[in-house]
Amino acid sequence: MTACTRVRTRALITALLAAGAVSSALAADIKIGAAEALSGPAGQYGQSIKNGFQLAVDELNANGGVKGNKIVIQFEDEAGKKEQAIDVFKKLIFQDKVLMVFGPTLSNSAQAADPIAQAAKVVAFGTSNTADGITSIGDYVFRNSVTEADVLPETLRVAIKHAKISKVAVLYGNDDVFTKSGYDAFKKALETLKVPVTTTETFAKGDVDFKAQLTKIKASGADAIVLSALIAEGAPIMVQARQLGMDLPIIGGNGMNSVKIFDLAKEKSDNLWVGSPWALGNQTKENQHFVVAYTQKYKSAPDQFGAQAYDAMNIVALALGKIKISGNLETDRKALRDALPTVAFTGATGAFKFRQAMGKDGKPAGYDAQQAAIVSVTKGGKYSIEK
Amino acid sequence: MEWFDNFWQIYSNLVLTIGINALLALSIWLTLSCGLLAMANAAFMGIGAYTASILTMNYGAPFPVALAAGIAAPTVVALVIGGPTLRLSGVYLAMATLGFGEVVRVMILNAESLTGGALGLNGIPQLTQWWHVIAALVITLLILWRLRRSRIGRAFEAIKEDAVAASLMGIAVNAHKMLAFALGAGIAGLAGALNAHLTFFIGPSEYGFDRGVDILTMTILGGTGGLTGPVLGALIVTLLPELLRNFRDFRTMMNGAILVLIVLFLPKGLWDPQRFKSWFKRGRK
Amino acid sequence: MLEQQLVNALSLGCVYALFALGFTLVFGVLGVINLSHGAIFMIGAYAALQVVTKLAFPLWASLIAAFFVAGAFGLAIDYLVLKPLRQRNAPHLIPMIATIGLAIFFNSASQGIFGAENLRFPSDLVPDQQLHFWGVQISVLEVAIIALSFALMAGLLIVMRKTQLGRALRAIAESPKAAALLGINVEGLFYLTSFTAAALGGISGVLIALYSNAVFPLMGQPMLHKGIAVIILGGMGDIRGALIGGLFLGFAEVMSVAYIGSTMRDAVAFGLLFIVLLLRPQGMFGKVLERKA
Repeated sequence: MTACTRVRTRALITALLAAGAVSSALAADIKIGAAEALSGPAGQYGQSIKNGFQLAVDELNANGGVKGNKIVIQFEDEAGKKEQAIDVFKKLIFQDKVLMVFGPTLSNSAQAADPIAQAAKVVAFGTSNTADGITSIGDYVFRNSVTEADVLPETLRVAIKHAKISKVAVLYGNDDVFTKSGYDAFKKALETLKVPVTTTETFAKGDVDFKAQLTKIKASGADAIVLSALIAEGAPIMVQARQLGMDLPIIGGNGMNSVKIFDLAKEKSDNLWVGSPWALGNQTKENQHFVVAYTQKYKSAPDQFGAQAYDAMNIVALALGKIKISGNLETDRKALRDALPTVAFTGATGAFKFRQAMGKDGKPAGYDAQQAAIVSVTKGGKYSIEK
Repeated sequence: MEWFDNFWQIYSNLVLTIGINALLALSIWLTLSCGLLAMANAAFMGIGAYTASILTMNYGAPFPVALAAGIAAPTVVALVIGGPTLRLSGVYLAMATLGFGEVVRVMILNAESLTGGALGLNGIPQLTQWWHVIAALVITLLILWRLRRSRIGRAFEAIKEDAVAASLMGIAVNAHKMLAFALGAGIAGLAGALNAHLTFFIGPSEYGFDRGVDILTMTILGGTGGLTGPVLGALIVTLLPELLRNFRDFRTMMNGAILVLIVLFLPKGLWDPQRFKSWFKRGRK
Repeated sequence: MLEQQLVNALSLGCVYALFALGFTLVFGVLGVINLSHGAIFMIGAYAALQVVTKLAFPLWASLIAAFFVAGAFGLAIDYLVLKPLRQRNAPHLIPMIATIGLAIFFNSASQGIFGAENLRFPSDLVPDQQLHFWGVQISVLEVAIIALSFALMAGLLIVMRKTQLGRALRAIAESPKAAALLGINVEGLFYLTSFTAAALGGISGVLIALYSNAVFPLMGQPMLHKGIAVIILGGMGDIRGALIGGLFLGFAEVMSVAYIGSTMRDAVAFGLLFIVLLLRPQGMFGKVLERKA
């Protein structure tokens, strides 16, 4: 070989090696797991959550990922069953060796599966868990779903101010974790605000007829109904209340915050007050960007679950941007956990930061969402924001 | 060994759940072997689970005590309701025990201060070890195996064939039915207590109709001829969601379809000693 | 409030009765507890919904569609699943288990096809008018449900008691083998019963979907649980029992909500059920004797 060729060959080899090094650095994908209910009755929520995550991941990767690294999100179905949530968490953590796990969808599943993540020192980040006893599991448990305890007092305050309510009746589903803990939060808030309760009634999941309870509420002379229900029961409750001649305001929890109410209750959906950190009509720049992008990609309006998942992914991306990915799984998982609490982010759900919760032993544990609630009232088929 | 450690880390929950489900399937098998279709075992599981969990969580009871209580409580309940209920037969018994299951669920929902109501019990200490499940399963299998081969086991078969004829032969039909019912309840309660201390959390919705159907499916699928059937059925039904992971909603459809197909084409279930014998006979020709 | 609650109880009771009529018919004639009746109920509702939304047919047409589609499913279930089990002389718990499998299959299939969320009938089609009289309020739909349940009960009773067909069905209910020996076309009547019971289930699915504004894959399950309670209370296989049992359950539920407290509603209902089972297991109108072969 001549000297010329040797130099050229060496240069070529160096260039190739450099390219290889660069591309292998670029190819350090960040693997994140997401265990959500993609089938079963909770499947509709899991699907929205999945959409929110995917939208965020695609956007982030299109903008270069995190410091050039692509985010790869692996979805697994936990079917809304706690045993499957445990199995899927274990698979993602120990077999697929993800950096952290999102989910699960239901609070019950979280109570069963999050301890696994905590023991394995892997971040478990819920976007739809609102019950008690989750973030108190330990300091690897995070959530950005605002609990009813934070939102309901604000909803009540605004509704009472606007609708001049002096006494309320309470109606809630007593066999579902979500609606029951919503009721507990409502009860505390009503006591704090010193609002008298005329009567408290319950219903069960799958009920179709609520006239017995509504008739009793009507007879009790309440000015408003405080309702902790999911849309499946909430919509017929509203319709039947209106049919019985009760046009009074209905103050709902998180479960009633969905545009489906307009579809299901049509003209009987007016005068429903809900509070949530996210509202479709909230005109902030970040929210409108999210709404437009989501609607374009999935051909339907987003809901709260999608919004919270979208924001959660962005929060994690911000945390990832602060740490150095060393390649050692244990170190990286810990680094992510340490970086997360420091993240402050303004997204579709507004300004967000974490707030540390207390564990069962009185020591600081996991992280809850610290966010302001937006209160809206339904009118003519739309939510309009009230302060 | 490292391979095993890794495997165990990922799949320990699944394996232990198979063992617990096997206990449940055996408990239904026991009642079926006496001719009773008691759909109450899911409720008994729940009673065992809640009793044991309340003891460990609120009273700091040691695990063996909690387990013993988890066996005793549903057994006592079974003895109490068994008297009037076991007079019924066939579908009436099935319906009555289904109704009982609902009663238990409603009671758990309403006894909020004790059971946490709809919110369930959270933060149950994870005390179940692999050897607990193995020991429970082995001991149960031993007891049932001995029972089958004893006079009591033969009495069960006689009652299953024809209760009237059995009583005419001098068999104390009611006492035997009660034994099967109460023992089945105890086994289900043990399974419940073990399961509760494996998964950190229990709620009232887990011990209702769906659970009852799951347990029944395991036993029918596996085969009611012997003890192997229920264990095999538990293995398959527990693993099926994992194996069918790619099918999403169609997973549950497969569950239903499998149940129908087994009933239609393999009425004695998968593990049918008689069918195997006839295969061998054919083979020998 | 009492008058309104009594009206509520009447309409709720008839909702339950409407479902239970088809359910009890299958047990009475075929001797099978058909736990897929809830799925049939759901299929009727979805069939009607599809007809109304995709084909833009009027409401009465959708009821007819529900009748035939649900009936066809019932017939298919009988022919494909129940008949082979009959021919094998399977103990009667086996068909019940098969129907459980069918219910799971249909419920999850419908979730896979239509999605898990609640759908509703287009609101301009739902008869929404309210009637006011004597200080109580009742909707036109509830009146229709009440009228239909009484009419169906009366109709079915007349068929059972006064017609040749009814006599044949009662003979089969007593003993299918004896009926066959008497020259009755037992298989044919089994098909007819399965079809009719399912068709009734489908109609009740549509009416209750209109009443509750909700169509979703698992809608048949809570109804099934209530249906089991109703036929136990009223007597399994008895038509009067379906209506009276339904009314009884409706009254028990509404009155316990109104005067005891709604948290106790299910406890009262199932407590009553349990007591009935202990004291009079055959229910109000049921027969104690086991079915002869």
